[in-house]
Amino acid sequence: MTTVSAAHHSVARRRRTRTTGLRRRSAPYLFVLPFVAVFLVFSVYPLIFTARLSFTNWRGTGAAQWVGWDNYTYLLTSSAFWGSLGNSGVLWLLIVPIQLVVAIVVAVLLSSATLKLRGLYRVGFIVPFVTPLVAVAQIWVVLFDQEYGAVNALLGLAGLPDVGWLTTSAWAKPTLALLFLWKTTGFVVIIVLSGLQSIDADLYEAAELDGASKSRQLLSITVPLLRRTVMFAVVLQTLAVFQMFAEPFVLTQGGPYNSTTTAGYHLYNHITRADLGTGAANSFLLVFLVMGLSLFFVRLLRAKD
Amino acid sequence: MTGTTAAMKQAQRPAADAAPVGRRRRRRRHLGSHVFLMLLLAALLAPVVWALLSAFKPANDIVRSPLTFDPSAVTFDNYAAMFQDVPLGQSFVNTTVVLVFKGAITMFFAPLAAYAFAKYRFVGQNLIFGAVLVTLMMPTIVLIVPLLLQMKSLGWVDTYQALILPGSVDAFAIFWMRQVIAAVPDELLDAARVDGSGEFGTFLRVVVPVIRPGLAGLAVLTIMNIYNDFVWPVVVASSERMATLQVMLSTLAQNITGNRIGADYATVTAELLAASSVALVPLLVLFIVLQRHFINGILAGSVKG
Repeated sequence: MTTVSAAHHSVARRRRTRTTGLRRRSAPYLFVLPFVAVFLVFSVYPLIFTARLSFTNWRGTGAAQWVGWDNYTYLLTSSAFWGSLGNSGVLWLLIVPIQLVVAIVVAVLLSSATLKLRGLYRVGFIVPFVTPLVAVAQIWVVLFDQEYGAVNALLGLAGLPDVGWLTTSAWAKPTLALLFLWKTTGFVVIIVLSGLQSIDADLYEAAELDGASKSRQLLSITVPLLRRTVMFAVVLQTLAVFQMFAEPFVLTQGGPYNSTTTAGYHLYNHITRADLGTGAANSFLLVFLVMGLSLFFVRLLRAKD
Repeated sequence: MTGTTAAMKQAQRPAADAAPVGRRRRRRRHLGSHVFLMLLLAALLAPVVWALLSAFKPANDIVRSPLTFDPSAVTFDNYAAMFQDVPLGQSFVNTTVVLVFKGAITMFFAPLAAYAFAKYRFVGQNLIFGAVLVTLMMPTIVLIVPLLLQMKSLGWVDTYQALILPGSVDAFAIFWMRQVIAAVPDELLDAARVDGSGEFGTFLRVVVPVIRPGLAGLAVLTIMNIYNDFVWPVVVASSERMATLQVMLSTLAQNITGNRIGADYATVTAELLAASSVALVPLLVLFIVLQRHFINGILAGSVKG
């Protein structure tokens, strides 16, 4: 009697573990299924379509003609393409290094426990990040207007001459960079703060006992230990800068004289000219460039690990 | 956790060095920090405050004296004129519909997929997650042309589906949530399984409560992204009936560049500032209410150390 019931019991249990095992093995597939479905239909399929498009001269209607690598060789020898990359490169230089330094300094100041009003600063700094870009870009247009803008009025009070912020090719890039810096620096501050939180406080205590100054501590403890956080921020911001499109679209429409035609905006220019094949090829060149840059930064900042 | 211990250690320190000179020096150092942080805060908030206040000024004053504000001349004329000229109400409804549905899809399916990536091993895992990373590096505009053609063939141009479905299970949300869920201890999940919890039950009853800060952060980020989204909506649903708030705003801006002459410029600018204010306020209010969750959410999701 007992043996039977024991055997029965163990069979039941084995069956149960087998079904939970099966369930456990099939669970992740079910969990990712909705994502994969949306991803296949609205990302992978269009991506394959774009890949094929990049080898044709299709203009949106009629039959597409296979042109091989023509679109790619055209772009790689086109000064407009390189110019747009150059513009994005200059914007990167105007944005990422400045943003990192400011964010690290602000985050270090904000992480001091004895500093009052920390909460207010944290909230205040991130306000620009949550504002709608289109609304802000339009406020920018009004603020930086050469004749009627508040910025030039302010310069006038200081006895300085008017500046064509959005109408001269020398100033349009810095004005655009300023919008981007204004909007995203608070976000980078929060990312750096999260990195700072994970640094062991004992290290600072030991350094203090050894008589290291605050600035010395910043350079010898904080900066090296922030490596991974900094890498994360740099990669994220590099992607954002090279993909930048909506900002110049609202602010300057890529002008004056293409000075704010970013890599992302150049892509859009092909589309408006219905030059879809070239646009598709441009997309892929841009993706490869951005991937290359990301890997480069990951390697560079990981070097000492 | 580390943050609190660090705070406690630092709070103890002033008591340890009893020398009043040290304390005074510390206070003076904080004074410098406050001056720097306050100036930065003022610069970051100035454009938004300026726009919100200027929208209440008589149109001609905005242009003629952009730096002054006369409380006795406060007027609602700009708002009245703007609401008469622009069907902002409909665009608010559209934005809300997209926000609710797209937001719900993202908030449910992205953490679920992220859970599978963080806590299971399954066939194709690396391939799919690699694809997620590649999507992150892709400029949105890359997929615009094929997606638009896809929408055309489905007859979805100018519909809610087109605004909601593409990008509804966002790659960034998955990437972000995977970081958050990876930090959940495996022991917690195993304990739940031993107690007979099913796979989905474990996710719902064990994982979700633990990652609540990360989820709150994701919620604010998702609301923000959908509310501020511009490039895809302007391409796929630009008719007056389907335009989202940001699309409606951008059409206003095109009027401003078209009306560069005197009085017209002033009225268009005034209406633009009123419309921008209306677009800014809901998100600012939401953010101020939820700011703690948002900042903690970003802290939870970014790479540490």
